[in-house]
Amino acid sequence: MIRYVQQVEALVRKDLLLELRTWDRLSAMGAFAVLVAVLFHYAVDRTLIHPRELAAGLIWLTIVFGGILGLGRTFALEEEDGAIQGILTSPVPKDAVFLAKVTGNFVLLGLLVLLILFVFGLFFQVGLGGNPFALFGVLSLGVLGFTALGTLYSGVTVRSRMGETLLPVLVFPLLVPMVVFGVRGTSLLFAGVSGAEVEGSLRILGSFSLVALLAGAFLFRFVVED
Amino acid sequence: MSLKTIRWGAGIAGVLGVGLALLFHWQVFFWVPTEASMGIVQRIFYVHVPAAWVGFFAFFIVALCSAVYLWLGEERLDIAAVSAAEGGILFTTIVLISGPLWAKLAWGTWWTWEPRLTLTLLLWFIYVGYFLVRSSSENERTGRRLAAVVGIVGALNIPLIHMSVLWFRSLHPQPVVLRTDGPSLHPDMLVTLMTALASFTLVFLAIFLVRYGAERLERELRAHDSARESGKGVPV
Amino acid sequence: MSSPPARPAEGPSRESPAEGERTSSLEAHALVRAFGPIRAVDGVSFELLPGELLTVFGPNGAGKSTLLNLLAGALQPSEGEIRMGGRLRSHGEVEWRQQVGILSHQTFLYGHLTAEENLRFYGRLFGVDQIEDRIHERLSAVEMDHRKDDLVRTFSRGMRQRLSLARALLHDPAIVLLDEPYTGLDVHAAALLRDLLSSLKDGRRTVVLVTHDLTQGLDLADRVAIQVRGRFEFFGSSVELPSGPPDAFYRSVVEGVLGGAGGAP
Repeated sequence: MIRYVQQVEALVRKDLLLELRTWDRLSAMGAFAVLVAVLFHYAVDRTLIHPRELAAGLIWLTIVFGGILGLGRTFALEEEDGAIQGILTSPVPKDAVFLAKVTGNFVLLGLLVLLILFVFGLFFQVGLGGNPFALFGVLSLGVLGFTALGTLYSGVTVRSRMGETLLPVLVFPLLVPMVVFGVRGTSLLFAGVSGAEVEGSLRILGSFSLVALLAGAFLFRFVVED
Repeated sequence: MSLKTIRWGAGIAGVLGVGLALLFHWQVFFWVPTEASMGIVQRIFYVHVPAAWVGFFAFFIVALCSAVYLWLGEERLDIAAVSAAEGGILFTTIVLISGPLWAKLAWGTWWTWEPRLTLTLLLWFIYVGYFLVRSSSENERTGRRLAAVVGIVGALNIPLIHMSVLWFRSLHPQPVVLRTDGPSLHPDMLVTLMTALASFTLVFLAIFLVRYGAERLERELRAHDSARESGKGVPV
Repeated sequence: MSSPPARPAEGPSRESPAEGERTSSLEAHALVRAFGPIRAVDGVSFELLPGELLTVFGPNGAGKSTLLNLLAGALQPSEGEIRMGGRLRSHGEVEWRQQVGILSHQTFLYGHLTAEENLRFYGRLFGVDQIEDRIHERLSAVEMDHRKDDLVRTFSRGMRQRLSLARALLHDPAIVLLDEPYTGLDVHAAALLRDLLSSLKDGRRTVVLVTHDLTQGLDLADRVAIQVRGRFEFFGSSVELPSGPPDAFYRSVVEGVLGGAGGAP
């Protein structure tokens, strides 16, 4: 068990260190988020509706599109000089590799979400509502499931001729629960309701993440092994 | 299953299925009473609903065969999964065509975000992903395994997706559409529906068996060919 | 369907599992790995005593890398078994991977990490004790300690391969698998790597080296195998090789199979 945690930690630390050195994914996702917000500004007719009224939905879509950019590159850095072989032939269980990849991606997507909240606050005066903890819960539970699905399927698409273009086709149909309840919870919280009122959303987002994590941890070995 | 069994099974299921299809078309057009509130259009129901049932049933088979395939590595299960998926995509396509037709005639709009139709659309895309993964993978064996993963994860998410689209709808009430679960169906309607369901199930079974047999033969043939080729000195 | 090796190792001596700490014999029995209809490894058997070095020669596509992947536990055999230190190994076993070190033509290293960071990462995956000491020791053994804080992407091909050797030996594996380690090295770097590899022959490690290049690896080998189309068409100790130029013998074996005549010489 201790060994398992150490291995996961080594993998996560390595991924984050690499990201910190290259800024490959963070810079792409960050630029994407800001630019999408700029485009939203011109896409929404302010005489009819203020972007703030659509904020929850726009934020979640930005998370989905920006996130899928980063998630699609999960295994790109392992391809460089066969490093994935080095990991797969080491005594690390496959589910540990999966959980480590999810953790690393979750940190990246967490930073993306913070940036998106900041940008939407700056551009469209979207506040956090009165209950930042519940908001944090809704966002992180939704993003966790998204990350788990995206990480698993990124392992699938990296072995496909179509590559990252295939990823949205596989992942988006499964994101309906996350978008429905993520947007619902977020917009309620932006409107200033108490945390108790989003409990239902939290519960469903939680089961969404749990299903994705368990399925991924169990099935990942079939994705990477021959 | 021997090829002979498959051939006979497919033949019998096909003949029975088509026979029942003729029967339920007769029922639909000449026998079953017209539904009071929706009128003649409601008769699409006898194609639409059984197709949906068979489409979802097929996906259940895909997920089940995929899971056992990953577990045991038995190639026949993969053949079964892909054959069921082909039947499934056919029947979900029928649902996606008949649904909007019905919607247009009954409510004047092609698409209403009716939850079950939405779920079918998403299911259809999961099937599409299943085939794309299979065909675009670096080699066939990998493609089979990855497609199995896609099939299983898709199936695991179906209940949550179903719940989400239902709940979303309840939150955004729209004009009343469809109440199959409403006041009890006229007995003749039920008979027609069951005939259609039996027909579609048999047709699905026939398609499944034909595809299963063909796919198996094709793989055996290719195995035979490449074994011969490698025997001739083509490097492996 | 699968022929036994042309010459089995004489006197199979199996160690008791208790002794299998640092040294280990390596055996394969009727090993088969099929990819669909193609049998990339087709009934390979051999036994290596602890400390022996086996070189497997063969043309491209002979299934050498597949064999190595089977021995590494990265691929599951379709048939047959692998024993280490006399003990049967089942696929996916953690202790198995713990005992194996792999040096391939790919280095498994991250260009954006320093030499030391790369080793630390792999050391922690393998649960190496006193990791900093081991890293230091390994880096100086491959004469890379002066570059330990530099990013691997700044290294030459030869330096990367040396560092990769340090990575492969970091957890002190009893079995070392080498897959075309000389690929892409210039003459000087290859000579350096050859010296390093010869130091593997300390009697403690059992080594399998796979190459298509006869000029490499023959002098280090205790045993030699020639693999063609998945099978060992020759297996024997290096002294059993017929006299005369080795490449003539090699060519006659390979052509004997691929030329359509079939069978061992």
